[in-house]
Amino acid sequence: MTTLHIINAAPTQTTQLSSCLRVLSAGDGIVFCGEAVQALRAGSLAAQQLQGIDHSCKVYALEEDVLARAIDAEALPVTLLDYPAFVALCVAYSRVSSWT
Amino acid sequence: MAKSVLLISRQAPWAGIGAAEALDIALAAGAFDLPLSILFMDDGVLQLLDQQQPQALEQKDLSANLQALPMFGIEQLYVAQHCLTVRGLADNPLALTAERVDDQRIQQLIRQHDYVMTL
Amino acid sequence: MSVDTLVVEGREIALDQDACLCSLADWSPQVAQALAAREGMELTDAHWEVLYLLQQFYTQFQLSPANRALVKYVALNLGKDKGNSLYLNGLFNGMPAKLAARLAGLPKPANCF
Repeated sequence: MTTLHIINAAPTQTTQLSSCLRVLSAGDGIVFCGEAVQALRAGSLAAQQLQGIDHSCKVYALEEDVLARAIDAEALPVTLLDYPAFVALCVAYSRVSSWT
Repeated sequence: MAKSVLLISRQAPWAGIGAAEALDIALAAGAFDLPLSILFMDDGVLQLLDQQQPQALEQKDLSANLQALPMFGIEQLYVAQHCLTVRGLADNPLALTAERVDDQRIQQLIRQHDYVMTL
Repeated sequence: MSVDTLVVEGREIALDQDACLCSLADWSPQVAQALAAREGMELTDAHWEVLYLLQQFYTQFQLSPANRALVKYVALNLGKDKGNSLYLNGLFNGMPAKLAARLAGLPKPANCF
């Protein structure tokens, strides 16, 4: 009964990510899209917080948003997605929580 | 059986239409007898502040509307205690009877519902 | 927005697209009777107590109740004998929330067919 959390705003703009991390359950996934991929920038406060999440949780990001923003996605264990993979992921989890 | 929904209301009542839209969804669900719970989180906890005077901004009284939720059969109401605390409202009286919940309880709430909807 | 008017005792009262009063301030028992007459209804004490209760609901919650909420509120205030769909449907032509709100001078309830 795991949840896929979708984050679309930068961690420096809204509390989407910080609130999501507080209520993340073991086995959950997080998808970063749009400005939210800023959270993956190596050395940032958000990236440090992400390194501390439970190891059973997986981190994903939309590849095009990562590439566009010159983010080095090698620094974190993150799986990059295209849109078909994103859709497949939404179906794979029990529910989706979109933190708009 | 109808699928259950956890509605997470995260916006302040004076900051745009998010809070009012969340309430509309809840009232519609209640009118059609759908099982829906509401969790007030982040700035959404400010919706529960007592003694608001929205008339000063010529706005509708959302806190009066919220009181109608139990009449519409929406009785599973929760508020994130941490979000009250960081806003200096840990011990404030609330305008609505809502269960104060910690992070662990929120994790459970998310897992207990079929759908999660955030506004 | 006013799309129709109702004349009561020489006064023109603005009605919206749902045949509800544009402003609750226009309401009076005579206006309620005139609105009821348009529906072919004669208001009795049984109607009045529900209409006044609806106005109390509106003052308290700032919105018009859907059927389910109306039933619950009536049950809470007037007892279960009156707070049930059968009784309220009988009084208000089978559409209690919509019709009673109109007669009480309130806006049409949301989520109501």
